[in-house]
Amino acid sequence: MKTILYAVLVTAPLLTAQSAKTPDLTGVWSPFGGGRGVDPKIAPPPAGQLVLKPEYAKPYEARRAAEAEATKRGEQLATAGSQCIPYGVPTMMAVAVYPVEFIQTAKQLTIISEAFSEVRRVYLDRPQAPIDDVAPGYYGRSVGKWDGDTLVVDTIGIKPTVNGYRGMPHSEKMHITERIKLVTPDVLHDQITIEDAVVLEKPMVYTLAYRRMPDYEMVEFVCDNNREYVDEKGVVRMKIKDK
Amino acid sequence: MKSRLLNLLAAVVAVAIPVLAHHSFTMFDTTKQITITGTVTSFEWTNPHSYIEIDVPDESGAVKHWSIEMGSPSILQQSGWKFSSLKKGDKTTLVINPLKTGLAGGFLNTATLPTGKVLGNGPGRGPQK
Repeated sequence: MKTILYAVLVTAPLLTAQSAKTPDLTGVWSPFGGGRGVDPKIAPPPAGQLVLKPEYAKPYEARRAAEAEATKRGEQLATAGSQCIPYGVPTMMAVAVYPVEFIQTAKQLTIISEAFSEVRRVYLDRPQAPIDDVAPGYYGRSVGKWDGDTLVVDTIGIKPTVNGYRGMPHSEKMHITERIKLVTPDVLHDQITIEDAVVLEKPMVYTLAYRRMPDYEMVEFVCDNNREYVDEKGVVRMKIKDK
Repeated sequence: MKSRLLNLLAAVVAVAIPVLAHHSFTMFDTTKQITITGTVTSFEWTNPHSYIEIDVPDESGAVKHWSIEMGSPSILQQSGWKFSSLKKGDKTTLVINPLKTGLAGGFLNTATLPTGKVLGNGPGRGPQK
């Protein structure tokens, strides 16, 4: 008994000291871009180039061209978002100006996006599962560990129908590494690296930046009144009520 | 050489762009702003968008019904809107960008509430003029 008590007394301050060193990412965060007027010290660095393998680049470029053509005609082609389908990882990390809430405990970081109420869970200090054991989905499986002041998050298991950064295609083998860090006490950066040996010629890297929103209370978002529908040409239209 | 330079510039200025929340605003005519005054038949504080349903009489007294799209509650509450800002029977004047199709729908720019207060459509959200 004495020995146990001794062990507790000796290790308790050590544990406290260790956890005090680990940053707490808990809070509500609002994504912001670079551009004019943003302090370069906190602005997100420029995104890397998206370089797809030729067989994936062709249909991707064709889709982008069709979207641009539709915009010129004053129309929008259907997207998953227009049909209220969630964005999944990693796109959910920055949806327009919607806040993202981080809730950090010793064992888990939970990330909630206000848009579509998407939730992802990052298990801390647990090993990643073999990819064949993860059912492909919108959020896959994420594990995280601290590398100094940076939380390194590893995600696998995103299904190919979930669109990636700027609509980029990906395979079941996509592997996402995020380096999440407090740049200042109130500015957070998430550097996202997407690796996919099937689809990408080289890893795609981009960084999202967030500002803390003190005292912000997250608003619920249940998509139960979607008036936008897709017509027979694949164009997004707004349903009009007649009374 | 010029195109290589342009590519380089594009790479330098390319910052990660957040995805659109729901849909783009290309369906609305942002070159036009029209003003409609009428009686609210319902105020729908919903996602992915809120809506003002409104009956608008013309000079002859004939009533036309309009569906006006707004931002989401999350976006709207950041610019002073509440779920109770409008209710059925309220008289209001709306400035909107109409649908390009000519159908009786549009995207809200500003609303004058019965209290006289004028509200926009959320910070930095969607078309204006």
